[in-house]
Amino acid sequence: MANPPVAATIFAYHVGFGDCFLLRFTYADGSRRHLLIDFGTTSLPDDAGADWMRSIARDIRDKCTEGGGALNIVVATHRHADHISGFATAADGKGSGDIIAALKPKLVVQPWTEAPNAPVSWRGPVIKDKHAFAARRNSLDAMHRTAELALQSVYRSRKRLPQALVDEIAFVGEDNLKNLSAIKNLQAMGPNVYVYHGSDTGMAAELPGIDVTVLGPPTLTQTDAIKKQASTSEAEFWMLAPKRMSDAGGLGDAKPLFPGAKTIRGSRLFTEQRWLARRIDQASSELLRSLVRALDNQMNNTSVILLFRAGTKSLLFPGDAQLENWQYALQSKLAPLLDDVDLYKVGHHGSRNATPKSMWKLFTKRGGKKRPDRLTSVMSTKHGKHGCVKKHTEVPRVSLVDALKVESNFHSTEDLAAGELYEEISISLT
Amino acid sequence: MARGSPRRAIARNAAFPAAGASTKVEPPPTRKLTIVAKDPGLRLGAPDGPMAFTQVDIPAELLGKGPTGYRIKVVDYNATERVAYFDNQDYQRRDGALLDPFAPLDGDFLDRAYQERCIGDPNFHAQNVYAIAMRTLGLFERALGRRVGWSSGGHQLHIAPHAFAQANAFYSEPDRALLFGYFERANGGRVFTCLSHDIVAHETTHALLDGLRSRFTEASGPDQAAFHEGFADIVALLSIFSLEEVVAAAIGEDGAVARGDAKIALVDASKLDKDEILKSIFLGIAKEVGGEIEPGELGALRRSVMIPPERGKVMRTDTDEHARGEVLVAAMLNAFVDLWLARIAQLGEFEGHRYNLAAVVGEGAKVASHLLNMAIRAIDYCPPTDIDFSQYLAALLTADREAVPDDSEHKYREIIKRGFEAYGIPASGPGCNDDGTWKRFDRNKELTYTRSNYSAMMRNRDELFRFIWENRSEDRLDLDERAYTEVLSIDQVARVGPDGITLYETIGQYTQRLDIFGAEFKSLLGVERPRVMLTTDKFTAFGGGVLVLDQYGQVKYHIANRLRDPERQFARAEYLLETSQFTDLDPNDRLRFAVLHQQRMGA
Repeated sequence: MANPPVAATIFAYHVGFGDCFLLRFTYADGSRRHLLIDFGTTSLPDDAGADWMRSIARDIRDKCTEGGGALNIVVATHRHADHISGFATAADGKGSGDIIAALKPKLVVQPWTEAPNAPVSWRGPVIKDKHAFAARRNSLDAMHRTAELALQSVYRSRKRLPQALVDEIAFVGEDNLKNLSAIKNLQAMGPNVYVYHGSDTGMAAELPGIDVTVLGPPTLTQTDAIKKQASTSEAEFWMLAPKRMSDAGGLGDAKPLFPGAKTIRGSRLFTEQRWLARRIDQASSELLRSLVRALDNQMNNTSVILLFRAGTKSLLFPGDAQLENWQYALQSKLAPLLDDVDLYKVGHHGSRNATPKSMWKLFTKRGGKKRPDRLTSVMSTKHGKHGCVKKHTEVPRVSLVDALKVESNFHSTEDLAAGELYEEISISLT
Repeated sequence: MARGSPRRAIARNAAFPAAGASTKVEPPPTRKLTIVAKDPGLRLGAPDGPMAFTQVDIPAELLGKGPTGYRIKVVDYNATERVAYFDNQDYQRRDGALLDPFAPLDGDFLDRAYQERCIGDPNFHAQNVYAIAMRTLGLFERALGRRVGWSSGGHQLHIAPHAFAQANAFYSEPDRALLFGYFERANGGRVFTCLSHDIVAHETTHALLDGLRSRFTEASGPDQAAFHEGFADIVALLSIFSLEEVVAAAIGEDGAVARGDAKIALVDASKLDKDEILKSIFLGIAKEVGGEIEPGELGALRRSVMIPPERGKVMRTDTDEHARGEVLVAAMLNAFVDLWLARIAQLGEFEGHRYNLAAVVGEGAKVASHLLNMAIRAIDYCPPTDIDFSQYLAALLTADREAVPDDSEHKYREIIKRGFEAYGIPASGPGCNDDGTWKRFDRNKELTYTRSNYSAMMRNRDELFRFIWENRSEDRLDLDERAYTEVLSIDQVARVGPDGITLYETIGQYTQRLDIFGAEFKSLLGVERPRVMLTTDKFTAFGGGVLVLDQYGQVKYHIANRLRDPERQFARAEYLLETSQFTDLDPNDRLRFAVLHQQRMGA
């Protein structure tokens, strides 16, 4: 292997609710390599102006190009808006996505679920059904459509529902809308490679001296090996989801259930019907919310999980991978690699499910302040947008943040001051 | 047409005099209402034959609009369409005669036009859920010999037959309601979960079980989560067999013989082969819904009875609670089939290897009724928290032994015990006898009875608690003094003694809680905490027990899951951590059962 780099710098950009990390590796001869891992938001920092994302894009450009360097690799862990919205282009060619594209990265890394067809270089486990990719692509589109319909439905009923419920469905729904501009830009800005657990990333040429392991997402075959429900029925479920969501939301031109029946309008119910009717309204929307959440989780679980081993250190970037994505990795031969993680990018903005206890307890470098090789954790998030405290699903999760603060050198983008674009975290690799 | 209700069929209750009669007649205790038997997917004679409609007997009452009765209140509100459907029906006349608005005018339940009118009328759906829920409630009240309340404390459980356009149906504890959804078929027709007898009986059973053992909805272990689902399926499946005409029609006649003036319908022996019965519509849940959601070989939403014992043993240890629940159903229903076949084998054969259809169906009804009673009575002998399948088996065997001390004729208990063991559910444990029943309480000599008042103890929770507290020491009831203990319920159970005379026993449920930190796990619960639990983690440990007092007020059984039960407490804590339910206990979640069902229905 070529000589490893001597230092790593993580620029954790302040995008609000989203991820944007510029990873810089510096070599002994002073040369540098740059990776951009995600660039998106669904809620900017409170004090950010309209031009904020472009400012970040320009800063990324400046850092990559100073001293003759370049943006070598772009990683889009999964297609949620809060990870790729920054890659969208503008009509005038000066959008944040245009600025990134102009840097002409040599490689764009995405999960295998994004691949249009089985890539030529696919050396993944043989999949019994050739149409897996088409099915996956179609079900991703179906998920987007379902999210769209969920939004329509909840806006329609917003006056009758608790505000918190409406806000939550809206936030999650919008994160799951299709961002065509970003997707197209990612496909066009450089050669694409689609990765899965254990696959080759093709990054060796761009990152000499660095070992990159892909821990997730698992392929269908890998998943089927450990799950009971066949992945194919999952894809089928999502194909039906838009229709179900449309029906459930009372959208479209569904025929009345009982055309001849005498009815009483919801706004004029009999006194003896009102107590339950209000509760049924809420129950119905909560069911919609759980469908939207399931969709959201499904999308999160397509995240690429990357582990970089450079010099003496290990850096873990898991996107928004949740337990279901992690399950394959945790029982695989690669699991022991997690013991030595030195830097952990906190999954899914600090949600409970994205840092499963079974994974967290594997990190041996957790410890108190006095520990010399203490684990570093980095979180990019914004309070109050996702989940709710009452149900212990708030993002970031308080108990997780407590554990991160107690057992690691914890950095959060929320601690940045107004106007600060990023926090710089340096790690020596020797 | 605005008022679209079909021509109302009025089936007069035969015992009643004509309108205007002056003599006052005793109101009848029961009435008949028309329902869809089993499932709209059950077709008689041919795959596109008529559905099976029937009348069921339920307690008679004067119903309000809805219909609304003393235990059930139907509110036909549809959140997707934002309308409520008007109740056009009358369930009684002014002279008090009770009506069945949807009985066929000419008595022909199989008439297609009649069936279509019913299916197209929301009021029929309302009647359907009302009648099936009342029928299921009646099963429980008869089995237990007392009234069974809803967990909310309210007297009326709400039912919404067309709550929303979603492929789901569930019991919502905080809403005191059963909510039934509907959805469209791939080819455009509609599927109503409220028309499936299986689904309505299943959801009503959740509500009834919640009334009897309200703590079973809490996060505890995979068995407890699975128990609700398995038990609800068992009740739904077994309760069909008492609709003997429907069962006979579904099995189908294969000729008949004359015996004097009577005609005896016959059924071919080949239909009574174990495999055929396992595949039959009776042992699948919700054919119509299942056919839409997961078309396939099951022919139903689920068909747990087809799980063979070897696979059941594997599923028994599955972390997935759905899989576990199915093992319970498989064990019970396979025992049912074995018992039924054993009784059929004792019947005489007619020429051509055929059996008397009515006799076959009658035997099925007897066995199903016995098992249903056993399954329901067993709840009284289950501890209030952290139930596992082996404990339920012990409760089953104990309940049956109390009711039928001499089992030598049909050997129900032996067959059940063997069947459950084959599925990986042994009847073992420190509190059990060799035959699997709960051990009798043997410390009565140590208990202090003199300071309590038995007649008050039978009725008053404070008094029963006083008795428990008085006798808390280790050599008596052995309850942790530091825990917060509470008597949840006291019920009287009627039993027919060996001399045929009814005697009354008392069943009291109590629970205990201890709020601890991870650091205290070992000292208070007797076992090292799970590795992933921090010393500073907050944790609540529960214990609970059932005291059965005999007709003299003496403790007959003390069936308890103690706080200081190292193995069980460790297993529960580990389960909670693994499923990330730690500090997320929210049994009042309205969607608690809905999400489970969403997953079973393919989400």
